[in-house]
Amino acid sequence: MRLRIPLLLAAAGVVAVALVAAGCGGGESKPAADGGKKAASQVLRMAWGAEPPSLDPGLATDTTSSNVLLNIMDPLVRLGEDLEPVPALAESWDVDGKVVTFQLRDDGRWTNGDPVTAHDFEYAWKRTLDPKLAADYAYQLYGIAGAEEYNNAKPAQATALRDGVGVKALDDRTLRVTLTSAQPWFVQQAAHHSFLPVHKATVEAHGAKWTEPQNIVTNGPFKLADWKHDASITLVKNPDWRNAADVNLDRVEGRIIVDGTTRVQAFEAGEVDALDGGGLPPADMPRLKDLPEYEKYPALGTYYYGFNLENIPDVNQRRAMAFAIDRQSIIDNVAQADQIPATGMVPKGMPGFGTIEQDFLPPRADLEKAKEFMAKVEDPERKITLFYNDSPGHKEIAVAVQSMWKELGIDTTIKAQEFAQFLEFLGPPPNTAVDVYRLGWIADYADPMNFLELWTSKSGNNNTNFADPAYDRLIEKARNTPNDQQRYALYRQAEAMLTGPNGALPIAPIYWYTYTNLERESVKDTFHINPLDQFDLSKVAIEEA
Amino acid sequence: MAAYIIRRLIWTVPVILLVILMTFGLMKQIEGNPFRQTERAVPAAVQANLERKFSLDRPWYVQYGNYVKGVATGDLGPSLVLRDRTVNDIVEEQFPNSIELGLLAFGWAVLLGVPAGVLAALKPNSRFDYGAMLFSNIGFALPNFLVATLLIYFVSVKWGLLPTSGWTSWQHKILPSFTLGLVPMAYFARLVRGTMLETLQQDYVRTAKAKGLRRRRIVTVHVLRNSLIPVVTAAAPLLGYIITGSFIVENIFAVPGIGRYYVTAVSARDYSVVMGLTVLLSIIVILANLVVDILYTVLDPRTREART
Repeated sequence: MRLRIPLLLAAAGVVAVALVAAGCGGGESKPAADGGKKAASQVLRMAWGAEPPSLDPGLATDTTSSNVLLNIMDPLVRLGEDLEPVPALAESWDVDGKVVTFQLRDDGRWTNGDPVTAHDFEYAWKRTLDPKLAADYAYQLYGIAGAEEYNNAKPAQATALRDGVGVKALDDRTLRVTLTSAQPWFVQQAAHHSFLPVHKATVEAHGAKWTEPQNIVTNGPFKLADWKHDASITLVKNPDWRNAADVNLDRVEGRIIVDGTTRVQAFEAGEVDALDGGGLPPADMPRLKDLPEYEKYPALGTYYYGFNLENIPDVNQRRAMAFAIDRQSIIDNVAQADQIPATGMVPKGMPGFGTIEQDFLPPRADLEKAKEFMAKVEDPERKITLFYNDSPGHKEIAVAVQSMWKELGIDTTIKAQEFAQFLEFLGPPPNTAVDVYRLGWIADYADPMNFLELWTSKSGNNNTNFADPAYDRLIEKARNTPNDQQRYALYRQAEAMLTGPNGALPIAPIYWYTYTNLERESVKDTFHINPLDQFDLSKVAIEEA
Repeated sequence: MAAYIIRRLIWTVPVILLVILMTFGLMKQIEGNPFRQTERAVPAAVQANLERKFSLDRPWYVQYGNYVKGVATGDLGPSLVLRDRTVNDIVEEQFPNSIELGLLAFGWAVLLGVPAGVLAALKPNSRFDYGAMLFSNIGFALPNFLVATLLIYFVSVKWGLLPTSGWTSWQHKILPSFTLGLVPMAYFARLVRGTMLETLQQDYVRTAKAKGLRRRRIVTVHVLRNSLIPVVTAAAPLLGYIITGSFIVENIFAVPGIGRYYVTAVSARDYSVVMGLTVLLSIIVILANLVVDILYTVLDPRTREART
């Protein structure tokens, strides 16, 4: 029986192929198979993993839209090798407590020839906060004074509150931002697509259709030449960009291929030169990892299991469960994408990680210690329920953890839910039916605050019932501490309260994410995905093979 | 006849109203938030702004009423997830691709399935018959995603004959349409073989033979025409079904059709897209059935009187 199925499949394949060949006479046309000769022409063919839901900087919320936007637009700052802010459209900035003043370059140009001014930023940010636009990511701007109030305004008060938002163009080249507290990461945050400018006249003239290629006005290294929904995105070099002389690529021909396996097959058939880092199919990983075109990048993201502290009240049981998880084995045998075993909430690669890192949770299972902790539990919960969402990969990890916890005498029931339902189900307030749940967090900006503020008592992302006023105070203090080293020291205390030796362990981190990709060797040297999942196509050059 | 068609068309209105109401009710019953697509919690102000913008803060009957009003004027509303696009945009831009894919798939089915069935019936229990029926069984049994993956692997990656995916040149269209056409092809082959064999046993065929008619004429004029009635019956709803898009085939071959939205819009809780596509699908199925009924009366005069 075992032999027969593959044979049958092969037979079916052959019959089908024969029919195709017969049906269409000369079906011999072929896609270009070798990338070698194309290298000289500086056209990058890439596969995007999704249709961008919106190319409006105010409305975009996902990675694909963000990456298209950051290549057709020019942000105030971009992020350097160590995620530090480097000048882009802003040539300099000055931070004075809660007030940040950006000085803009004088050669920023929109694709219609208009100069890019500080007024464009003021307009764009206030537009994103406008309750009528109803932008999902309006909250990315909540660090600006008056922003949350305006976004929350009833129609009657909106105009008054709009003027209270702490962003002001002092002249064409000076943008002054007043924050709610001294947020030292604000300048880095300005590299996020939510802080891009928009061209007022275009937005007002075309309404929701202003992002279509025939209408859109941008100011970055590439122009959006064509966008066929769910099919392709074509970018061409913007010859009038301030730094156009340094841009190598003439065109970026993007195809939208949602299915992961097809994406890999399109690459292997030589139809595309690079994928967008959107993930490779786990089943193919062992094979793909051996290819010379395989590339991996560290990501600022944490995959974790959250504990419901009401249902598993003894910290020693949570410790035992966290120690029994063999993170490395999960990565090697189940997740398979070269992730890094997570020993804390703040991921490796985050600025300040060296200070914040705790030396408590083990990368490999430490069953002996786990059993010691378990022995200290007075009234252990032996029957627990673990919830996860049914996207690929989570079940396999849950099953592995289930068997690891069995070693502690814990009988785990695992339950799957569809993602949208799962998110509502978890809370807040935390669902009492949940003992343990899976979630992940991917950074919005490169500061540990983005990970640690999740566990404050009023956080909408905290479904653990962990609520410690001391923790809340610590986070609030860090928010107002501009000095990096001092702030990292506060973060260290916060991380210790979560995952340190005396921590409450509301979560058991499993792994820190990686981005895996396939890149033709001709672009491998210059194509680079940063830890925030961004790639800068203006830096890519196609080399002779 | 005209009165019959008009009566049928009028009946579609309550059917569509009911379809909208049921879809609307079902979508409201499942948990989930169209404005939360990632694990990130949505601040209350943002949620309230979005609900106001898309009128989700109004009572359900107002939402239902507004939606029905929109459908009546041909406006299927905005997508709650793809913020730059309306449901009309999605249908206008992407439905033609699904129709094309469906028609091509149907073409494969008719071109290969019907002749295979005819030839198999003319030489029953021959090698060709067994071969055609084996192929038909395989076509039925293999799921689309497997056929698609195998075809891409061999034809595109291994042999480099055709592109893996996309929907631009005619070469791109061969594999997806063949994959989608496989099941109807297999179905037609079996159906035609069965009805042909049955027709060949009929008295009037024996009479024709006794009259000394040539076999070719018997087959083309008498047997084939009568054997095709069940095929037509099956074909119209099938056509309606495959032109409205296939999630699996479109997804694997990266065809920019609307098939994928039947699935992704539900999991994203994009209510208006789900309802818009359901309305579209029901209209097409209703029309397809109407066409079948009309074709019946053309092919088989006996059914004419009962209807008018």
